[in-house]
Amino acid sequence: MKKIVSIIMALVMLLSLSACSDGSTDNEQTTNPTEKTELTMGYQTDPEGLDPQRTAAASTFSITNNIYDTLVGVTSDWEITPRLAKSWKVSEDGMEITFALRDDVYFHNGRQFNASDVEFTFNRLKDAESPKAGDYENIIKIETIDDYNIKFSTEKLDVELLKWFAYPWTAIVPEEAVDNLKTEPVGTGAFTLKEWVPQQRIILQRNDNYYGEKAKLETVKLMLIPDATSMMAGLQVGDLDIIPLSGDQVTMIEGNAEYSVVSQPMNAVQIMSLNTNNEILANEKVRQAMAMAINKDEVIEASSFGYGDKIGSHLPSTSPDYYDTNDVMEYNVEKAKQLLKEAGYENGFEIKMALPKNYQIHVDAGQVIADQLSKIGITVNVELVEWGTWLSEVYGAKNFETTVVGHTGRLDSYAFLKRYKSTSEDYISLKTGEVDLLLEHALQELDNNKRKEIYQEIQIILANKLPAIYIQAPHTMFGMSSNVEGMSIYPIDVYDFKDVYFK
Amino acid sequence: MLNYILNRIKSSIVVLFVVSIITFVVLMIIPGDPAQLILGTEATPDVVQELHSAMGLDKPLYVQYGNWLISFLKLDMGTSYLYGESVTTLILNCLPVTLSIALYSMIIATIISFIFGIISAIKKNSFIDYFSRSIMQLGTAIPSFWIGMVFVVFFGLKLKWFPISGYVPASESFLGFIKSITMPSVVLAIGEFGLLLRIVRSSMQESISQDYMDMAKVKGLSMRKIYLKYALRGAMVAPLTIIGMQFAKLVGGTTVVETVFALPGLGRLVLTAVEHRDIVLLQGLVMFITASVILITFIVDILIMFMNPRIKTFERGE
Repeated sequence: MKKIVSIIMALVMLLSLSACSDGSTDNEQTTNPTEKTELTMGYQTDPEGLDPQRTAAASTFSITNNIYDTLVGVTSDWEITPRLAKSWKVSEDGMEITFALRDDVYFHNGRQFNASDVEFTFNRLKDAESPKAGDYENIIKIETIDDYNIKFSTEKLDVELLKWFAYPWTAIVPEEAVDNLKTEPVGTGAFTLKEWVPQQRIILQRNDNYYGEKAKLETVKLMLIPDATSMMAGLQVGDLDIIPLSGDQVTMIEGNAEYSVVSQPMNAVQIMSLNTNNEILANEKVRQAMAMAINKDEVIEASSFGYGDKIGSHLPSTSPDYYDTNDVMEYNVEKAKQLLKEAGYENGFEIKMALPKNYQIHVDAGQVIADQLSKIGITVNVELVEWGTWLSEVYGAKNFETTVVGHTGRLDSYAFLKRYKSTSEDYISLKTGEVDLLLEHALQELDNNKRKEIYQEIQIILANKLPAIYIQAPHTMFGMSSNVEGMSIYPIDVYDFKDVYFK
Repeated sequence: MLNYILNRIKSSIVVLFVVSIITFVVLMIIPGDPAQLILGTEATPDVVQELHSAMGLDKPLYVQYGNWLISFLKLDMGTSYLYGESVTTLILNCLPVTLSIALYSMIIATIISFIFGIISAIKKNSFIDYFSRSIMQLGTAIPSFWIGMVFVVFFGLKLKWFPISGYVPASESFLGFIKSITMPSVVLAIGEFGLLLRIVRSSMQESISQDYMDMAKVKGLSMRKIYLKYALRGAMVAPLTIIGMQFAKLVGGTTVVETVFALPGLGRLVLTAVEHRDIVLLQGLVMFITASVILITFIVDILIMFMNPRIKTFERGE
C-alpha cells in the first residue's frame, strides 16, 4: 500500500511541477521582437515527399518552392519575373524559347548550377514516373547552347509557353542527388531543409550562399497540426506566428490588433459538376434551372463565411482573362421552375450528389445547394465519399450524377480550360464541342487582346451550357500575429518565406 | 512452458500471415488508386494509366503481394511511396509517442479505477460508490475529441498550463515531454477508466463475498490486510486482462486524440496510409500493430499465470 501511495504522490508531484513551470525559455525570445528571426507556421497536410518531379501535391510545392528555384517566378499579380533565368527570348514564330541563365548560382551541395541541370530536370519532368509529364509533351527538343544558355523547342505553337517554366514542378534539381530528393532535397533555393519529421514538423534554414537577396528569417519551423481548433489556439497563445485560415475562423481574430489577416481570392474555382451522360442532366434546360435555383451568395456565406467571390464560369476573378458572367444565370427560383417545367420535369426528380468529405468547404456548399434545389422540387441525395474514392469513382470512372469540388487554376487559361474539349474524356467535358475550336485558337493567338476576347467567348458559352455550375473562387487566408510582414499569396499553390520578416 | 511459448509463436505467425492477406485484399477492393491520388484533379486518364504502370500497380495482385511478402520475410518492410522513407523508420519515429501516451493514460486509468473500484466495492451504495458509478458513465459517454477540444481551450489557451499541441521528445526536455503528453493521456484515460472501474468493482465485490473472506475476518486479520492482500489478489485476473486489452488498443493508435493534439503517433500514420492508399506503409503498420497486440496479450497471460498459479493456461497448450 505504501508503495502505491508513494507512486501516486510522485506522479501528482510530477504533474503539478510540469503544470507550474511555464516555459520561461520561450518567453525570452519574444521579449525582443526586433531580433526575432525564427518563424513558426502551422500546416495541415504533410507533403508527399519533397521531390518536385514526383508528385502533384500542393502540400509539397508549398514547401519545395523555398528549397528549389524555377527558371522564372510569378508575383502575386500574375507577372512573370526572372529567377534562375536572367532573361529569355521567344523566337519570332513562337516555337522556341531561349533562356539565359545566371552564372552565380550554387546548389546546396556546393556544386555550381548550369544549363545541363536544366536539361536534366526537364527530361526528368517528362519521364514516365513524373505526374506532370503529359503537360510538357509539347516540348520536343531541349538544347544546351553553352553552360548558361538553353533552348526549348515546341511541336505546336503555344503562346503562353513561358508560363510553363514558372510552375513549382519545374524546379531545377541536381542529377547527383535525385535518388533521395523525397527526403533529402537539394536545390538552389533561399532555404535548405534542416529537418523533416513526417507527421510532425519541417524545419527550413536560411541558405547563406543564396544568389539573390538572402532570406530575412534564419529558420522557418512548420508544425503539422491537423485540427483547426488546435491550430487557432496555437496562434492565440503565441506558439504559431502564421496559420492557414478558413472562413469560419476569420471572425475569431478579425478586428483584433494582435493579429492580421491576409486574404485573396484563390486561383481556384469551386464548382458543382454535373454528369451530362445522365439522362436528366443531359437536358440543358434542367442544368440551367438548377443553376438559377442556386443562391450562390448563400452558399458562399455558409461554406466560406462570405470569403469567396461569386463566379459564373470556370475562371476565377483574379485571372487576367476573367470575364464577369454572373448575370448569365442569375438566381431566380420562378424562372428555374418555369425552365424545369419546359424540360418536362414539372414535378422535379431525384438526383445523387457525391461530396468529398475531406474537404469541409465542398461538403458545406453541397448541403446548402441540396437544400436550395429542393425548393424547385429536385430531391438531392447527398452521399459523403472519401477523397481516394472520389478520385477514382467520380473523377476517374465518371460514375456520378452531381458533385461539388474545387479545381486549382493555372497561370494560363488554356491549361485550365482544356478539360472542356469534347475530346478530353474529362468528367465535365463539354461534349457538344462548342469550345473546341475556340480553345485551339486561344492557344495560337499571339495578340493578347484578341486572346482575351476568345476566352471571354468561352466563358460565356460555359456559363450558358453549364457542364458544371460555377459557384465561387474561395479565398486563401492566413492569420498572422501582427508583427509578421511580407507573407504573400500567389496564383500558384506556393509559400515564399524569403521576404517574410518580423517588424 | 517452452512448448506453450512455441505454440503461441506458431499461431501468431499464422495470424500475421492471414492479417497481411486481409489488409492487402481490402485495400485492393476499396476504390481509390494511388496513381490517381498522386495526380489529383488535373490529370487526364492516360496520364493516370501511365503512372499506374510506372508504379508497378498493373502487375497481378499475387505478384504484388508476393514481392511484399518476400521482402518482409527478409525483414525489409519496404519504402513508403508517400514519404519516400523506409517504413521501419516511419514506425520507429511514431512509436515513442504512441507508447508513451498509451502507457501514461493506462497508468492514470488504472490508478483511478483501482482506488474508486475498491472503495466502492467495499462500501457499496456509499457516496463514493454512487460517485464512481456516475463518472463511469460519463467517461464512456463523452466523445474524446470533444473532451480534447475542451482541454485545449481551457488548460491550453486559458490557463496555459500545458502546450496546446505537438510532441516534445523526452530526450529534448523531460519536463516538456511530460507536459506535451499529459493532456492527451488524461483524455484517453477518461475514455478507458469507465470500463476498467466497472470490472475492478465487480471483481472485488465477488472476491469479498467469497467464503474465505469470512474465514480471514474470523481469524482476526486487519481489514486492510484482508482487502488488499487477499481480496484484491483474487480480484486481479479480470482487470489485468482488460488493462492488457485496453493497452493493446491504445498502442494500435489513437487517431482522434492524436489529431486534436497534433501528436505524430501511429494512429495518424495509419490514417494517412489509408487515405493515400500507401499499401506498403499500411501493410507494415498493420503487421506491426498485430504483432504488438499478440505480444501484449501474451505478456498479460503470463502475468496472470504468475499472479494466480491456479490458472495454468500453458497446460492447455501442451
